[in-house]
Amino acid sequence: MRMSDYVEQSFSNLARRRLRTFLTTFGVVIGIGALVSMFAFGQGVQKNVAGKFKELELFNYVNVLPATVQEQSQRKPALGPSAALRVNSVEGMKEEPQQAPVLDDDLIQRMTQIEGVESAFAEIRFPAMVRLREKERFSLVQVLPANVCQAGLSKLLAAGEPYASDDANCLIISDSLLHGMKIKDAKTVIGEKVELSTLRFDPNLFSPAAIASVMQGNELPFSRDSYTFTIVGVTERTGFGGFVPVRSDIFIPPGPSEKMKKISLTNIGDFFSAADRLGQGDPASRERKGYSLVTVKLSSAKYVQPVKQQVEDWGFKTFALIDELKEIKRAFIFMDMFLFAVAMIGITVASLGIINTMVMSILERYREIGIMKAVGASDRDVKKIFFFESGVIGFLGGIFGLALGWAVSVVINQVANFFLAKQAVPYADYFSFPWWLCLGAVAFSIMVSLAAGIYPTLRAARVDPVVALRHD
Amino acid sequence: MNSTSFVEIENLTKVYSSGKIQLCALKDVNLTLAEGKFLGVTGPSGSGKSTLVNLLGGLDTPSSGRIKVQARDICELNKEELALYRRYQVGMIFQSFNLIPSYTTLENVAFPLLFAGVPKRQRHQRAAEMLTRVGLYPRKDHRPAELSGGEQQRAAIARALVNQPKILLADEPTGNLDSITSREIVQTLADLNRNQGVTVIMISHEELLLQEFADAVIRLRDGQVVEQQKIR
Repeated sequence: MRMSDYVEQSFSNLARRRLRTFLTTFGVVIGIGALVSMFAFGQGVQKNVAGKFKELELFNYVNVLPATVQEQSQRKPALGPSAALRVNSVEGMKEEPQQAPVLDDDLIQRMTQIEGVESAFAEIRFPAMVRLREKERFSLVQVLPANVCQAGLSKLLAAGEPYASDDANCLIISDSLLHGMKIKDAKTVIGEKVELSTLRFDPNLFSPAAIASVMQGNELPFSRDSYTFTIVGVTERTGFGGFVPVRSDIFIPPGPSEKMKKISLTNIGDFFSAADRLGQGDPASRERKGYSLVTVKLSSAKYVQPVKQQVEDWGFKTFALIDELKEIKRAFIFMDMFLFAVAMIGITVASLGIINTMVMSILERYREIGIMKAVGASDRDVKKIFFFESGVIGFLGGIFGLALGWAVSVVINQVANFFLAKQAVPYADYFSFPWWLCLGAVAFSIMVSLAAGIYPTLRAARVDPVVALRHD
Repeated sequence: MNSTSFVEIENLTKVYSSGKIQLCALKDVNLTLAEGKFLGVTGPSGSGKSTLVNLLGGLDTPSSGRIKVQARDICELNKEELALYRRYQVGMIFQSFNLIPSYTTLENVAFPLLFAGVPKRQRHQRAAEMLTRVGLYPRKDHRPAELSGGEQQRAAIARALVNQPKILLADEPTGNLDSITSREIVQTLADLNRNQGVTVIMISHEELLLQEFADAVIRLRDGQVVEQQKIR
């Protein structure tokens, strides 16, 4: 028998029982579809998330945090070579027996001297009321040096451009904040004035009388100071607005920030210690406790390890996203394995469906097999005919499974992006279909179907033509 | 035994065993047949007629004895060789026609050529020729259910002959047909036998038809040849 005849026979035999072929193939389609979309998701997340991080140069940043006192005491030897460090020696702080190194402007200056460091800047965020076009929104403002703004944010701008000077009275606003204010067209706000009102904890207002007045529905014991800025840029919706996973909606240069009276916070803990810690923007008192977070931008990810080493030797904690990537990759492997297991269950059930269908088909075509043998088909011919039929079910299941997997992934991708867009996450393909996945899915489907066809095939070859052709 | 015999059967025995029960379908059958003859086989039900034909057709293997066709012992062939023997040396027709219901007449006739590896166009061409020969070409696109019994049997004859075998084995080909159609079918077989030299071995209960068309008739009873009658 010719190869083309086997293929044609298989298709026409399967077409004879369309419903059953459809149902059996559908089982395979579901299994393969699940497998494909799951693999595509694993691939997509790995490729696009890592790709996005790389694009935003997130791997080029190291965050430096002050070590806590307890951690510091465990790291005593590290203090040795960094004797030049300014340590906390202010009077009236004797409650703290251990003295931790301070993250201050001096240290930032020192960090910029390390090889590979492009810039280092304190991560200062503070809450402010944003007033634009008669609308007010409460938002987080982040202080970002002009050079970092140009290097890091310029790629994310939907309109306008990054500010050029650290002293410019300009800011960059996020598209999601504009959306919150019902401003649809980002371009129209460029050049507009925006008012930032900072909140300042005012001890004078913090009196029993004030608390009583709050209870009666009056304002909180905070005082407000207003500052006017010009919008120069709008960032597109992004979850990566900051370099730590906290979103900021407004970015301003350090110059104007210095002059503002505000409370600063990088985490919720700061909110409660802010008054003490940052002395309400007073540079002298800031030196006492330092910043709670400094971001170091490197020229390349290859400097991450040496810079981390150096900064840790000085007695600080560090955090680099690139370290997390290893963990993330490991998580992906586990996720892939889990998805694979789920898909395999589907495939196993589909295989049983194939076996069932093929056995049924052989019982129905018992006489036909007898005829085949009577007119000269060898056992091998009979085996091949049924083997090809299994293979064709697998082939169709693979092709349509791939299509189903793709269709499902498109839907999930759209839905996921729709909801993530509300959280200002930029559009991304969470599914990826590399060529090996497409080919592999079809090949795997055929292989599984052929394996499922082995038993029915052997049964078909064993049919005794004398019995099959006996006149009833 | 005559060494020029086309078919030569020696001490052919076939025992079917199911569990402890043994059934002897053929017992020491000896038979010779020259090329181009028309042999009739008759006998009551269960006398071993079908077993004899199945053994001759290579569908079954004997318990002991030999079947020589053109001096080759088909009992010594392996499964693959036996398939080739069925494909090229013998054609078979049956009481219940055994056409594939979902195939058209043309496809049914072309079916054996599929296993011979003949390309599709040639398959259909040769099948069409065979249908023309049995007078069924106009019905080539009909399915078996749309044909009369006689037409179905003629299609089966066309299928049996499409690979140009030397022997045609017919297992009660008229069993499902009325007397007029039966006669037509046997006439067709006899014509093929005379005009094309195909050796025909036909099982039939209809003594009159055998007397009219066969060269010789053997009668089986309980697996043994009880009578050999030479007509021509």
